[in-house]
Amino acid sequence: MQTTIFTFTVLLLAFIGYYMGRSRAVATVSGDVRKLHSLPRHYGYFVALWCGVPALVLCVLWMLFEPYIVNTLVLSGVPNIDPDASSAVIARILSDVKFLAANGVGRGADDPVMVAAAEHYTHLKTVGTASLAVAIIAFSILGLVIGSRRVGADLKARNQVEGLIRWVLLASSVIAILTTIGIVGSLLFEAIRFFGKVPFTDFLFGLEWSPQIALRKDQVASQGSFGAVPIFAGTMLISFIALCVAVPVGLLSAIYMSEYATPKVRAIGKPMLEILAGIPTVVYGFFAALVVAPTIRGFGEAWGLDVSSESALAAGLVMGIMIIPFVSSLSDDVIRAVPQALRDGSYALGGTKSETVTQVILPAALPGIVGGVMLAASRAIGETMIVVMAAGLTANLTANPLQAVTTATVQMVTLLVGDQEFDSPKTLAAFALGLVLFCVTLCLNVVALRVVAKYREKYD
Amino acid sequence: MKPMTKENAIDIDKSVDINNEMTNPQVSSLQIPAEEVKIKAEDVRVRYGEKEALFGINLDIPQSKVTSFIGPSGCGKSTFLRCLNRMNDTIDGCSVTGNIHMDGVDILSKQVDTVLLRAKIGMVFQKPNPFPKSIYDNVAYGPRLHGLGNSKSDMDEIVETSLEKVGLLKEVKDRLLEPGTGLSGGQQQRLCIARAIAVDPEILLMDEPCSALDPIATAKIEELIDELRGSYTIVIVTHSMQQAARVSQQTAFFHLGNLVEYGETEQIFTSPQDERTKGYITGRFG
Ligand SMILES: Nc1ncnc2c1ncn2[C@@H]1O[C@H](COP(=O)(O)OP(=O)(O)O)[C@@H](O)[C@H]1O
Ligand SMILES: [Mg+2]
Repeated sequence: MQTTIFTFTVLLLAFIGYYMGRSRAVATVSGDVRKLHSLPRHYGYFVALWCGVPALVLCVLWMLFEPYIVNTLVLSGVPNIDPDASSAVIARILSDVKFLAANGVGRGADDPVMVAAAEHYTHLKTVGTASLAVAIIAFSILGLVIGSRRVGADLKARNQVEGLIRWVLLASSVIAILTTIGIVGSLLFEAIRFFGKVPFTDFLFGLEWSPQIALRKDQVASQGSFGAVPIFAGTMLISFIALCVAVPVGLLSAIYMSEYATPKVRAIGKPMLEILAGIPTVVYGFFAALVVAPTIRGFGEAWGLDVSSESALAAGLVMGIMIIPFVSSLSDDVIRAVPQALRDGSYALGGTKSETVTQVILPAALPGIVGGVMLAASRAIGETMIVVMAAGLTANLTANPLQAVTTATVQMVTLLVGDQEFDSPKTLAAFALGLVLFCVTLCLNVVALRVVAKYREKYD
Repeated sequence: MKPMTKENAIDIDKSVDINNEMTNPQVSSLQIPAEEVKIKAEDVRVRYGEKEALFGINLDIPQSKVTSFIGPSGCGKSTFLRCLNRMNDTIDGCSVTGNIHMDGVDILSKQVDTVLLRAKIGMVFQKPNPFPKSIYDNVAYGPRLHGLGNSKSDMDEIVETSLEKVGLLKEVKDRLLEPGTGLSGGQQQRLCIARAIAVDPEILLMDEPCSALDPIATAKIEELIDELRGSYTIVIVTHSMQQAARVSQQTAFFHLGNLVEYGETEQIFTSPQDERTKGYITGRFG
């Protein structure tokens, strides 16, 4: 609520600033706009930016540092905290204090220290918000005054505005990059914590996965086992089945669309294929779980085979359908990028269409097609929803597509769903799985994009 | 003879209109004895969709000689050349009417198998277009399509003689298995010629074969054309009048979809009959 009011106030001031700057600029040259260095609106932007940007920067700084400052102040008011207490303990104390401050009841409501801390917290919050409001408004008004003071016929408002735009764009890119680095960093950090508890080799080469950790120490199997081999084997099995579906179907349909279809058929067919890419994966998920899996099971029974109701085959088939558009649209692009001259060369020697396709066009387009298949593979490996709905939960080490297997993504979901402690190996295992998955898909993507780019160069 | 259908009738009506507007009767000073005519084109008309590109071409191409087509860009030289091996079939919306006889066989008829036809009529394109395969496989591509050279040694021989004929053998002898795209432009173009003659055609069509090459590579190709002349009937489209004068015995001048003038090369370049030919040759337009 308060944030909204601040935002509106600043926007309003910036708006006023725009008109002030503009009219002031026009007034300084008494209406002869050509005497101005820049267009009148540039002066408007100039003052509006002076008004808005410092306030915005202040706001961002506040949001970044306020929690830290408040937390430190509150904690300094709570005596006898063990200086070596883990971050989890401190976090719990803080969250208790905040809960108490917000609701007046809760853990520690009968502890005077906690109650005092809660009051301290509320007080700090109120003071902080009020001073922020004052500071923001003051900054805006100050900016407005300074900005409009500087407006004059000689002010190079256009260049200054352009310069600022450059900074804004740079800031956006930096945010995007930093976020990515942050995500990867936290993945790495948590994974390292996990490897502190479970040896790296046990994780990568262990054949047994049962991450359930008993609540009481004396229970059977109190120690979970974290061998990820069955999980990655399951991921590979399902992805392999998916590629077995997607590569032939996608490639052949790309060949048809690019070489055989008349422009009319192409105009209808290509968007239809691309609609497949727009279906939410959860819909594929039901389709796999409710239609394909029972059908496969039914078939299997008719042949006397033992088919699990969550077979790898069902999940893989549906995932294959999902990635057909990746394979087909990328292959279509590279096939169409093969120069017409090569086709003409083959036709002129008496090659038929299919001979031309198999002996000239596909070999020429092969690197690009391989790149497309690798992108599709990385998509399949990271895919979550279909396998959560249609693949199994138990980690089976098997190559039989009729049995249930599990995948890395499914395990991450099950490890993190529900109430979790954030420092048990069970939870941290999800980060380790995520890290491995990230590395695999990253490598696939990098190699694939390079292959595709290299191929593009060749014909440009 | 074609039956007179309604469609034909409309075509002819239109063409009469156009003829009235923009064409003079064509000048042809050439008398080729009937037994030496390799290709006989009569009233060849081509349209791309609604757009007409050729308005009735009549042309006899003699055997074992070089015939060049000259004319400003867009006048239909390539289009006519592509009629001769039915490459226009591969272009959507392109329709060809009229008659083209090769050794007395109507090659525009539906019964003609384009695969066999194109084995007899090789084509070389403006930009060298070797396949992204080895030099050997480039040359062997055509023979393999047509089931020639069944044994390895036969195929080796075909490849070697074809490369020899274009003077490329000694240059690439040690790297037959390296990609054809790694050769220089001129070598690539000679490779494309080798590829075309590997299926032992009777006719070679060349569409501006030197326009992407430097003068030295061009000179080599011209020399090669001269050598090949005895064994093949060659039709070459060129933008360079010097080239036409150097390599060809007959020259046809095309203008805006019409064949304006056709005659002995020497005569076309020294004493053209038509004003437009004269204008083009002396560089007043084109
Ligand atoms: N594939 C095509 N589709 C439509 N029009 C074409 C096509 N190829 C050529 N044309 C048209 O036909 C005319 C003759 O072209 P072309 O035979 O390539 O001329 P030239 O080889 O003499 O320069 C031009 O006006 C050109 O625009
Ligand atoms: Mg041309």
